[in-house]
Amino acid sequence: MLKKRGKGSNNKINILPGLEKLKESADFIHYKNDGNPGFYVNYFKSLIDVDILHRDILRYVSKSTTKKLSELKNELPIEVVMETSDVEFITDKIFRGFVFVQLENDLSNGLLIRAEKHSVRDVTIPEVEYSVIGPKESFVESYEVNLNLIRSRLPDSQLRLKQYKIGSLSRSKVGLLYMDGLTNQENVETVNQRLEDIDIDMLNDISNIAELISDSQLSPFPQLLDTERPDRTCAALAEGKVVILMDRSPHVLLGPTSLIEFFSSFEDYYIHWILASMFRLIRLVAVILSIVATPIYVAVLTYHHEVLPQDLIGTLVTSRRNVPFPPILEAIILELTIELLREAGARLPTKIGQTIGIVGGIVIGTAAVQAGLTSNILLIIVALSALGSFTTPIYNIGNTIRLIRFPLLIFGSLFGLLGVVICVVFILAHLIQLTSLGRPYMEPIYPFRFGDFRDAIVRLTLRERNTRPVYLRTQKPIRFPEPEKDNKSTDIYE
Amino acid sequence: MKGMTTVQDSSKISPFLVLYLIVSTQVGVGVLGFQKYIVEGMGYDAWMAIILAGLIVHLYIYMIYSIMRKADMDIIELNHVLFGKWIGNLINLVFILYLLILSLTVLRTYIEVVQVWMFRNLNTWIIAFFILLLVLFVIKGGFRSVVGICFLSVLLPSFLILTLYFPLQFAHFGNLLPIGDFTMKELVISTRNMVLSYLGFELLFFFYPFIKNGEKSQKWAHLGNFVTVSIYLVIGIVSFAYFAEPYIKEAEWATLTLWKVVELPFLARFEYIGVTTWLFIILPILCLWLWAASRGVKHMIPKLKQKRILYIMVAVILVSSGLFQTREEISFLNTLSSRVGFYFLGFYIPLLYIIMLVKKEVRKS
Repeated sequence: MLKKRGKGSNNKINILPGLEKLKESADFIHYKNDGNPGFYVNYFKSLIDVDILHRDILRYVSKSTTKKLSELKNELPIEVVMETSDVEFITDKIFRGFVFVQLENDLSNGLLIRAEKHSVRDVTIPEVEYSVIGPKESFVESYEVNLNLIRSRLPDSQLRLKQYKIGSLSRSKVGLLYMDGLTNQENVETVNQRLEDIDIDMLNDISNIAELISDSQLSPFPQLLDTERPDRTCAALAEGKVVILMDRSPHVLLGPTSLIEFFSSFEDYYIHWILASMFRLIRLVAVILSIVATPIYVAVLTYHHEVLPQDLIGTLVTSRRNVPFPPILEAIILELTIELLREAGARLPTKIGQTIGIVGGIVIGTAAVQAGLTSNILLIIVALSALGSFTTPIYNIGNTIRLIRFPLLIFGSLFGLLGVVICVVFILAHLIQLTSLGRPYMEPIYPFRFGDFRDAIVRLTLRERNTRPVYLRTQKPIRFPEPEKDNKSTDIYE
Repeated sequence: MKGMTTVQDSSKISPFLVLYLIVSTQVGVGVLGFQKYIVEGMGYDAWMAIILAGLIVHLYIYMIYSIMRKADMDIIELNHVLFGKWIGNLINLVFILYLLILSLTVLRTYIEVVQVWMFRNLNTWIIAFFILLLVLFVIKGGFRSVVGICFLSVLLPSFLILTLYFPLQFAHFGNLLPIGDFTMKELVISTRNMVLSYLGFELLFFFYPFIKNGEKSQKWAHLGNFVTVSIYLVIGIVSFAYFAEPYIKEAEWATLTLWKVVELPFLARFEYIGVTTWLFIILPILCLWLWAASRGVKHMIPKLKQKRILYIMVAVILVSSGLFQTREEISFLNTLSSRVGFYFLGFYIPLLYIIMLVKKEVRKS
């Protein structure tokens, strides 16, 4: 850039023609101010803060009598002022909210003055990953604010930021955060490489990046954890993970990650470890039930009613007596109804969404059973599985769970319980093969790492979790010195 | 191109996983009905045969480890080096055929169990197709994926051992008495039949080069065999204590019958759960054996792609699985594979061991 600037000033070319293209936009302002000396002002009305322009720029420039840009630069009360003659650079900066000022006597050079307008919403409470206890901040759409939220929690020189500009049209600012000397260099390099390889015109949200850099594009399982909580992000950084953030996206990506991590709510770390472990177990059971409950119902009722004990089969038969459909049809109708309700609820504003919940849940449910279209036992099962899939703390994995229920349903109706097991094994085999940034996704179950179970299905006390997860292959596997064990008194207090 | 038997470090597995590999290959469809075959000789003293056969298998594992440690190459190459190109290839071919027949036997027997206990009219080809599709999917993920399935297949179905609590309530351990009522010949028959149930450990020949610090894994292999012996012993003793001797001699699948006693408030007929869960147990066997077989062929003819070989093998197994329909035919398949396995164990491994003892140095050709 410097080279180009030097070259430009030697040749003394008028820059103004280079900006002609910009003038075609209605919100581009270009005018000449007469004075001694006269000056040109160029900027996008929509990108700059008019207050700064009037208060800090125009006032000083019009008062000034100097004919040298470098002197004018010193008179301005703004820090980011650049003297340049590179047309490409100028155009780029004008699009980033800079005002370009030229003096009448020197049209080959000009000053770029920063006056960008930040349209930022306030930092609000997290909505997707809400927690009762713990910090109530969540990321917003501004890169700078998000970085501030992270840096203020990790005021450490090890925290490094690499920056990229991705997208030929959107030119989105993308950042890669990691802890130098702690995070595995290979992981950083993998993400770095994948980000650099992205060749795309438009990035709208960080989920686009997640899709572009994931290990397997075919897998329905999310391979990078997407979060809106700064505290979770910082904990991940301290653990040795890599964080990707993007301007205009209120979420960040964490990686490498493992399947189990998607079932841990960050609130788990703020409540007592026994309670947290209990809730995690409940969540896991809920998710497993949510996947297999309806398929098992269909399999059992289609092929193996012998499996049910005498008393239970009585209840089932009574509830299904008037239902004219085979179990698979009954189940698919109900599952689709629930999905329909969810989709309708998600697309509507919150207040109407609640009404949909009532109409759908109570009215349709009761009516369907009374009309004899479904059995109420299946209604309970389907509603419970829907509930189970909503217990996942990370939104993405909940969607995956809703999806993988359907192949299980179909196989359950084709081959009974055997079909369900075939499908389950298929999913397990897929999970075993899946990687996140090249690290095994099923860790700590396979490869089996006993140490990492301290924070997987259960969460042990903070003091006991003094090592970083093995699969991250960090440069410093120990987080803090192991607490001293009190071996002296195991006897009763006297 | 690197040497054929050099395995990259990144695709190697930790030594302790050998335990799961051994257990998952040894415990297969045999567990469902081994009682009938061992009672044939010794009657209710057959639990001794379970232990004795286990000890013999320990000896074989020891032999395999001493062979492999000295050879430092896999079995296909070793056969080439020791027996020359033609005879070596012939032995390799027999070995691979043996693996294929065993895979077919396991698959067909499992499907038979499903047909007898769950779906009377299930088409063999259709269900074999889906199971083999699963096998293909797992093997395509590479050796690590196969080992992962082996690991999970030991872990997940392990809850089934708890179901033995139910028959224990009605057990008469007096059935086992008097102890020592057998002749030498009966002991040999029972032990021979039992050793065949332990087959599967010979795959060590194939996956040994894939183990990090191969020598250190020996204790895990022995431990794995010990676990298998314990599983068989527990199931054997419980079924002897539960069933009367004349019944067990007729029972085709005594272990499955044991599950008939299981009674839970939400579940009758536990054998349905048992049979379906058993898919977890036979899957790693099929994966590992077909993986080994296709890799073996690839070593013999390096030009072929392992994927292609695998597709052909799977297709052959799929087609032939449907050809065996009646009990007698499937029984013939079982006898065939156990015969081949018997000679293989009885002659080939000791022969190899002795040759390796005599030979001072083995060089790669």
